[in-house]
Amino acid sequence: MSFSGRSVSPVNRDPGGMVAHPGGRAGMPRLVLVGTPNVGKSALFNALTGIYVTVSNYPGTTVEVARGRAVIDGTTWEVIDTPGLYSLLPITEEERVARTVLLWDRPDLILHVVEARHLTRLLSLTLQLLETGLPLILVVNVLDEAERLGIRLDLSLLQQRLGVPVVGTVAAGGRGVDELKARIASWYRSAKGEERKVG
Amino acid sequence: MAAAPPLLFPYPPVLEEAVAAIVSLLAAEYPLAPRALALLLLADDAEAWYLVAAREGERVEQVRRIVQETQDRLGEPLNYTLLRHYHEAAATLAADVVSLPARQRQGWGNRLGAWTMRPWPGLPILGLVLYFGLYQAVGVFGAGTVVDFLESRVFEAWLNPWINSLVCSSIPWPWLQELLALDYGLVTLGLRYAVAIILPIVGIFFLVFSLIEDSGYLPRLALLADRFFKAIGLNGRAVIPLVLGFGCDTMATVVSRTLETRQERVIATLLLALAIPCSAQLGVILAILSGRPLALLLWAGIVLFILLLVGYLAARVLPGSGRGFYMDIPPLRWPRLGNVLAKTLARIQWYLLEVLPFFLLASTLIWAGRLTGLFPLAVRALTPLTTAIGLPPAMAPVFLYGFFRRDYGAAGLYDLAAGGALTGTQMLVAATTLTLFVPCIAQFSVMLKERGWRTALGIVLFIFPFAFACGFLLHRLLLVAGLTL
Repeated sequence: MSFSGRSVSPVNRDPGGMVAHPGGRAGMPRLVLVGTPNVGKSALFNALTGIYVTVSNYPGTTVEVARGRAVIDGTTWEVIDTPGLYSLLPITEEERVARTVLLWDRPDLILHVVEARHLTRLLSLTLQLLETGLPLILVVNVLDEAERLGIRLDLSLLQQRLGVPVVGTVAAGGRGVDELKARIASWYRSAKGEERKVG
Repeated sequence: MAAAPPLLFPYPPVLEEAVAAIVSLLAAEYPLAPRALALLLLADDAEAWYLVAAREGERVEQVRRIVQETQDRLGEPLNYTLLRHYHEAAATLAADVVSLPARQRQGWGNRLGAWTMRPWPGLPILGLVLYFGLYQAVGVFGAGTVVDFLESRVFEAWLNPWINSLVCSSIPWPWLQELLALDYGLVTLGLRYAVAIILPIVGIFFLVFSLIEDSGYLPRLALLADRFFKAIGLNGRAVIPLVLGFGCDTMATVVSRTLETRQERVIATLLLALAIPCSAQLGVILAILSGRPLALLLWAGIVLFILLLVGYLAARVLPGSGRGFYMDIPPLRWPRLGNVLAKTLARIQWYLLEVLPFFLLASTLIWAGRLTGLFPLAVRALTPLTTAIGLPPAMAPVFLYGFFRRDYGAAGLYDLAAGGALTGTQMLVAATTLTLFVPCIAQFSVMLKERGWRTALGIVLFIFPFAFACGFLLHRLLLVAGLTL
């Protein structure tokens, strides 16, 4: 099948028009980490999940996706670490897989991980993610490197402008991870509350 | 469904209108905001089209018309417009949030980094990189100084005579003497080509390539080259396989799988096979033509012209269209010596493991071919071709070597030129034809694997006559012009 002379991307599973909602899948909400390569996504993944990890090829591809579990405020989350993603208009197979996980695997909450030093460049994907309407927390990682270089970041202003939670971390050293977990927990509580109201 | 977030940075009005029009057409449920889906459709995202086509029925045609009209109004692919918008919006947002230390804001690194991406002074900078990185380091120093030393001091003056006399005095059978030493022996030819001629050239190329790679220059080169590459059906992403081809075309053909469309991959494979000399060829050609600047310029000009011409025609003939690309631009930085050396050594190791057995095998094959009379037969079959393009019969074996491996042929050419067997004009014709002439067996096998036998065979069947036709034409033109180089 093709449109305007282009072949359809390898991912053509029809998600069936489902809408993400917390706890909608076997009781376990799903947390997806996205971001460009080398921003410490895997370090954050490890910090959240501990050691329980399964790495598997994404169906039909050679791209690896790591899955693990994290217990945050009494709730067990499925945590997925995606391959590097530069923009929502994917070019490589890795990017296609990352976007597929993001858009069609029904994540409940997305953590966009960026590196503090390169915030200017990486915010471009944050803006694109905001457009999708998926629930988002921005994680500004490797904060210590930026501080060492004398770069100062006004994260509360950023949070105010973006309208989504912004958390600064040093995932490799564990700094900020507790605050991140608290933000995830409070997002989950309010999302659940809203669902009950709607339901 | 989550409500669309408030717009931080409105899109250009033309886009906003299109988004609103598309959103009003979309009736089905989707896992992402209708706005986001509309934007993906505007960016001509195949997956988004698939999704919408499956659910919206006839309304898809209306959506398609809106996308087409918008594209016509803005006059560029809309994914460009969108990505540019996000980048600018991100920069604006970050300007309020990020405060850089004063001295870093206008560092020389940032300024130089920006320069390398514009035609001026990016092209002169590229010229400097090529002049020092390729010509001076690989050509003059590697293929000149180091090869001279290893060739004439180590092998010719010392190792070869020693081996020859040892073999002749201790081994009574001529066939075994010839396998190990003398004109085409394992040590005197195979090992000498690999260690004395190819290793220094390729080693220095890999060193230069690793330095350039770690400095962050390559993605900038990709942006700079993007506009020129559009003409030959490629985009800036193709810079990396093509530049790597100057190291080893076989390695680069494998890397060409990172390109987005089939059309781009076929064009890159064709150009790598045809017009990108590998580092061994490049080094040898730079070395033998370095005393003849006019011949060197003519060679570079002709090969570049053929690269552009064939690429341009291929882009017209092959189905598909050149597409935009997005690439992460890391900051320019000083390469770390340890990393550069580690990378260079790893690549040299890969290369030696790959090349040394091949060189020894080629020596053995040539020896067997000479013993059975097949080698002289093949040389005799090629001789009319070499004569037709004005080259001495001694060039025929060089073409045969080149078919085994590009670098093997290059080493043969070096041998011949160093022996004074070629005039300047002949060197130019030989260098040009050998650059264009066949991808070697190693490269061909990778082409088969990556592109399938139909494409691979088609490319070879085109290149073989084309290379000799170019050699013939060049020879004739030089005769008519009465040019001696």
